[in-house]
Amino acid sequence: MTTTPMTLIESEDRREYRVTRRRDLAVDLSMTLATILAALAIGFLVMLVTGNDPVKAYEAMLTGPLDRSFRVGRWLEDATTLTLLGLSVAIPFRARQISLGAESQVYAGALAAAAVAVFLPLPPVAAVLVPLFAAATAGAGMGFVPGAMKARLGANEIVATLMLNAIVVRVYDYLVNGPLKEPGSSAVHSRSIQQDSALTPLSDWFGIPLGRANIGLFLMLLTAIALWLLITRTPLGYRIRMTGSNPDFAEYGGIRVPRAIEWSFVIGGAVAGLAGAHLVQGVYGRLEPGLAGSLAFEGIVVALLARNNPLVVVVAGLFYSYLRAGGDIMEQQTDVGTEIVVVIQAVIVLLVTAQALPDLLKRRIARRQAGVR
Amino acid sequence: MNESWADAGPAVAAHAVTKTYGNGVRAVRGVDLEVPSGEIRAVVGENGAGKSTLMKMFYGLEQPSSGEILIGGRPRVLRGPGSAIALGVGMVHQNLMLVPSFTVAQNVVLGVEPGQRGLVDSRAAVETTALLAEESGLAVDPKARVDEVSVGMRQRTEILKALHRRARVLILDEPTAVLTPQETEDLFAAVRRLRDGGMTVLFISHKLREVREISDKVSVMRAGSLVGTVATADATERSLAAMMVGRDLSLDVDRAPARPAEVTLRVRDLAYDAPTGQSLHGLGFDVAAGEIVGVAGIEGHGQSELAEVLAGLRRPTTGTVSVGGTDTAGLDVAGHRRAGIGYVPEDRLYNGAALDESIADNLVVDRHDRPPLARRGVLHPGAVRTHAERLIEEYAIRTPDPSVPVRALSGGNMQKVIVARELSAGPRLLIASQVTRGVDVGAMRFMYERLVAARDAGAAVLLISADLTELLALSDRLLVLKDGRLVGRFDDTAGLTEKRVGLYMLGVEHHDQEQLTAGLDDVEPDDVESDGVGPDGSGEASAV
Repeated sequence: MTTTPMTLIESEDRREYRVTRRRDLAVDLSMTLATILAALAIGFLVMLVTGNDPVKAYEAMLTGPLDRSFRVGRWLEDATTLTLLGLSVAIPFRARQISLGAESQVYAGALAAAAVAVFLPLPPVAAVLVPLFAAATAGAGMGFVPGAMKARLGANEIVATLMLNAIVVRVYDYLVNGPLKEPGSSAVHSRSIQQDSALTPLSDWFGIPLGRANIGLFLMLLTAIALWLLITRTPLGYRIRMTGSNPDFAEYGGIRVPRAIEWSFVIGGAVAGLAGAHLVQGVYGRLEPGLAGSLAFEGIVVALLARNNPLVVVVAGLFYSYLRAGGDIMEQQTDVGTEIVVVIQAVIVLLVTAQALPDLLKRRIARRQAGVR
Repeated sequence: MNESWADAGPAVAAHAVTKTYGNGVRAVRGVDLEVPSGEIRAVVGENGAGKSTLMKMFYGLEQPSSGEILIGGRPRVLRGPGSAIALGVGMVHQNLMLVPSFTVAQNVVLGVEPGQRGLVDSRAAVETTALLAEESGLAVDPKARVDEVSVGMRQRTEILKALHRRARVLILDEPTAVLTPQETEDLFAAVRRLRDGGMTVLFISHKLREVREISDKVSVMRAGSLVGTVATADATERSLAAMMVGRDLSLDVDRAPARPAEVTLRVRDLAYDAPTGQSLHGLGFDVAAGEIVGVAGIEGHGQSELAEVLAGLRRPTTGTVSVGGTDTAGLDVAGHRRAGIGYVPEDRLYNGAALDESIADNLVVDRHDRPPLARRGVLHPGAVRTHAERLIEEYAIRTPDPSVPVRALSGGNMQKVIVARELSAGPRLLIASQVTRGVDVGAMRFMYERLVAARDAGAAVLLISADLTELLALSDRLLVLKDGRLVGRFDDTAGLTEKRVGLYMLGVEHHDQEQLTAGLDDVEPDDVESDGVGPDGSGEASAV
């Protein structure tokens, strides 16, 4: 009974499986769309109830970011940082490690990039690359600490990353307010980076004003593709996936689970470090207090929305940033505050992370089809 | 409870029931089944034949996509187990569902506790349980904590729980899988007694011998459909197996005498201090290339620990283990695999597979980092897929596609994925633990053939099983473990009976040290010769 000929039922099942798979994809996509529409509808109602003009507000929010070229730049610049931070947590998430350490990693990356870009004179191309590399290394190191604590000592990664965040953010504040503060300046920030270290603004390339958007955008896209390849096309990515899916199985199969966990933290840390470099070399051109804002934690949301698939993280990051940018414009142009954007974002997150909904829908469709037959 | 049963008609019935799961799998296809009151009805079929799904529909765990379920002669809509229980349907699952920290009595009355005003009358609970146990012949100790009693007693507790809720239909899902032969006999006696009292019993099993022993009628399912129902008296194991797989199939294992070559696995003075579970003490044995050595024992007497120590998942405390000349005692899991050890773990759901990952990914866990799958740090998805397609074909894994997650496979198919992975690595030593647990007849036969084929190809096979029939059918030699110690060694399994091995498993008899260590290379050969005990198992056992 090595090779039984395929029975009628088996070929029927094969056809059914393919149909089901296509249908599930369609359901997933339309559910995502429906989720966004539902969130917008809820925002609409909230604005109506609070006595605002929702049509005007939505017009500002949804068309605003594309209105003028510098607003597009504002959106892309924000999306670049946010997506990099989303990618940075998506990798540990794939190993089922709840890393909340993007904040410490992004600030470590920013510090390292600034240290090199401000103080170390380098030839033109190296002046861009060396700070980037330094930032990735610093971020990776900041990822390694909780990763090793989890993998080798069994420390809880949530606690470890949060504590490390607290420490690094304080150190960063101290350095920006003290040793690294630009002498003679009344505002709190570091000296500006050397001209050669700046990531080329996109305005220079396209000849239209695109604000502070820069070639970091392409760096981000390359990183996403590289991470996707890492996860799907390398033995290390396989080990990370299996560790996340069933660590007991991974161990049984001869995978060194602690190493896979450590690597997932280190890779994620390096990417968050790059986000820090992007802020320093591309956006602000210097260190500023709290330069990452709330982006580190919104990166987690982006990764969750994308179900930790690196390519989908890009889409989710662009979308999420668009809402952020649109919210700002809405606040400027109408009486509606950005709070409404937070409401919309929250509803989207709730609906998307409620994975049971699409599954329920798929089951219902399957049942209906079975009933028809 | 049970007030709405019609007087006439079957106790349980399905009319044109079809069940399609959300992922498109049609598990049950237009089944018509009627079971009258007071009958023991066996439902048999391969894994994935739909019998579990059908039972779940009777118990309200699943709802039919079309058709209707009848209980007590009337069509019912069961929204959950609660409504099934209210109608008098009880189910004992394969994985027992009790509160481990509660006593037997507390578990029996759970949900319908005696007592007033929210207080539980624990004396009444114990009395009720004792009375029920007395009436049904299901012996339990009402005051013992569930986590301290045997699996058999836990199962009896589950049945008593159903009786306490006045079940008139009892569904037993593979009840004997966890029992010793003696416990099985007791269970069957109790089930017959319940039947004589008017209980309808649905008995799901893979073991056709037991089905023939216990049931009145047998319903056979195949690929979601009901193939037929026959009176047990008219059926043979062979005819049932043929109905199940749709063609003639013998369950006997054809197996040429083993031709053992050089020693592959050499274990000496192996001890392992288990933090939880059973420790191992002073184990010493050999397994040669080209032989199957069985390990018998009541579950939990060190078999799992031995398998995991040998596979590298646990570190032995003392002693030496070598495989094909490589000392493996200090190596990690990957080192064990490099030394040529394949391992089919006893619990495939726990560590045998990553259930949410594809079949293709599950087949490469031990070889994902080397050619032909990976070259220069790049893993080729095409190669992984081709590799999977080859093994799916070679090991007759039933799946529409290699990208299907393992979770979607039936038990037998899932086990084929694991066996395909472990055997295709060409292991020098194969540790096969409970290789046919929860696997259908067709797949069982397939596993047997593959194990014998691996043996004949020169692998040393260590077969660990709770199924004595299987051990005796496949093993060239047999070891018996009790309390983490070797207590029996049979170098010739021909003519060995389950009863006799059972005596060693229970500790009634044991072999002495000379026989256990006969022929092992670091024992003085003179010792063995002077005692006149040959390594052929004919030596007399000393009674305790």
